[in-house]
Amino acid sequence: MMHIKTVSLNQIGTYLILLVILVTFALFSPQFFTVNNLLTLALQTSLVALVAIGMTFTIITGGIDLSVGSTAALAGAIAAGIAVQLGAYPGLLAGIATGLGIGALNGALIVWGRLPPFVATLASMATARGLTLVYTQGRPIAGLDQAFTFWGSESWLGVPMPVWILLITAVIGHLILRQTRLGLHLYAIGGGEETARLAGVNVGLIKFSAYLISGLCAALSGIILTARLWSAQPNTGIGLELDAIAAAVLGGSSLAGGAGGIPGTIAGSFIIGMLANGLNLLGVPSYHQQVIKGAIFVIAVVLTGGVGIGNKKRA
Amino acid sequence: MRSFPLSSDRFDRRTFGQRFGLALIFILLMLALALLSDRFLTPANLTNILRQTAINGIISAGMTLVILTGGIDLSVGSVLALSVTIGAALMKQGWPVELSVLAALATGAGLGCINGLLITLARIPPFIATLGMLTMARGLTLMYTQGQPITGFPAAFRWLGTGDIAGIPVPIVLMLLVFVAGGFFLYRTSFGMQIYLLGDNPTAARLTGVPVNRLTVLVYTISGFCAALAGLILIARLDSAQPTIGLGYELNAIAAVVVGGASFSGGEGGLVGTLLGALLIETLNNGLNLLNVSSLWEQVVKGVVIALALLLYRAIGSRNSR
Repeated sequence: MMHIKTVSLNQIGTYLILLVILVTFALFSPQFFTVNNLLTLALQTSLVALVAIGMTFTIITGGIDLSVGSTAALAGAIAAGIAVQLGAYPGLLAGIATGLGIGALNGALIVWGRLPPFVATLASMATARGLTLVYTQGRPIAGLDQAFTFWGSESWLGVPMPVWILLITAVIGHLILRQTRLGLHLYAIGGGEETARLAGVNVGLIKFSAYLISGLCAALSGIILTARLWSAQPNTGIGLELDAIAAAVLGGSSLAGGAGGIPGTIAGSFIIGMLANGLNLLGVPSYHQQVIKGAIFVIAVVLTGGVGIGNKKRA
Repeated sequence: MRSFPLSSDRFDRRTFGQRFGLALIFILLMLALALLSDRFLTPANLTNILRQTAINGIISAGMTLVILTGGIDLSVGSVLALSVTIGAALMKQGWPVELSVLAALATGAGLGCINGLLITLARIPPFIATLGMLTMARGLTLMYTQGQPITGFPAAFRWLGTGDIAGIPVPIVLMLLVFVAGGFFLYRTSFGMQIYLLGDNPTAARLTGVPVNRLTVLVYTISGFCAALAGLILIARLDSAQPTIGLGYELNAIAAVVVGGASFSGGEGGLVGTLLGALLIETLNNGLNLLNVSSLWEQVVKGVVIALALLLYRAIGSRNSR
């Protein structure tokens, strides 16, 4: 029960930081707190947040998924490639299947190949990026029809489709973690793999499904980006894994496993997204933004209690 | 938590399996490439491989120490960039080459030291602390250079990347020096034993009087220093310092260390393995070039080989575990 206490404490910290940043930008930039800008902010954040949701599942088990950026790029490229040839829906399905495939590969390497998650997903990160370059021949794939670009470029009830997809994914993810046996088992494995095994948890299968979910979320993000840009770019998603990990950790996930949740991760994603958006509005040069982002990241982790968790186990 | 080996027999077989396995993969790769390309096994090409290994090899040496303590250093690529940018800018302002080089090395060591202090004093997990440093040092590099490359260095400096000592290219000599010095530090001083102990069991290390905090700061400082040194060799060879230099280098270094048999939980691995790991990756890249494989495939092959090499270790080494 210790866990639950720590998590809620961390998350209060996360929300406080989110609030402070929100109020600060609202005070300093008149354009910031407008419906239009907040929708833009949600649209921009949805790409990282989707990936971060999947990342949260792997981090809860004490693992990590470095391949998400490459998976997003490959899924987006294959979706676009198939969509151009066969139509939007086969393309979308192929993209999702790609994400699940890489997730399954990661899971298999980790569970049955017994590779450490960091290394297994590092290898698939390189492989998937390479396959993206091979598949696209290093060039963008364009010529998508409206049935495809709809998912990234259009709105329903005034809210952009990517934000709807994020919302639905977040709700489902949260329900899985809090209301199902799978969720319980994920936390149990993160809290102590051996104990979970002895308590009858099918550790292999549960870990496998965490990477499957991560692959799926990465693919969704990659497809949405492709739909938003009206084309698949081979170099998208580089460094996305670090943003997603940062979002999860800011949201109270511990890299040692056993802690974290979707609401926190979404808040963490918005901290990152809001910083970029607000600093842009304030006219801070992009070079300076990186320094500020790095510093705020470290400070925020200290404030949200990454500190206490760090002692338990080296990450 | 790592469990202790119950029988020394299993432990030995595993270590042996990893060392032998890696050497075996390396030899097989060399043989295959020698058969496939008659340009592979020439002194010029082998020297070329070694020269190309020097950059990643030196960074990986520092990374090995960090990973042995159970930590990780994601910031090496950005630390490299900021260090060499400062060194290069000082040189352009007319500072003597030696002082500029020293300033660059000091920058690298200093940034590494900050990593170490964040981890020990502020108690931030290594992954997070060095991830923050990755972003900040890159941002500072871009701010400092305004995104512009710095080019055209004095001949005395370019010697670091293009010169030779008794016929051996300087980068190779420097890499060997780093590994010999590192080997001495790791295997012939009490620091080395303490690093292994710290990685194996931090609590036990603390209880037996290992100065855990000082040691941690030291290994991250060394890692930053190595990154700066590798960066200096790189810009001396290219005769230019781009602000995006070193992007993604952390993953290459981690790959070399892990292919070399180190474990992320610490206390396992060593410099010989790391050197072999770095050589293996570079030989593979070289072979793909010689065989005219499109550079688009390079990453695919790298990823697959890393995974296969590690799966092979597991197959040879740890049949009994769990």
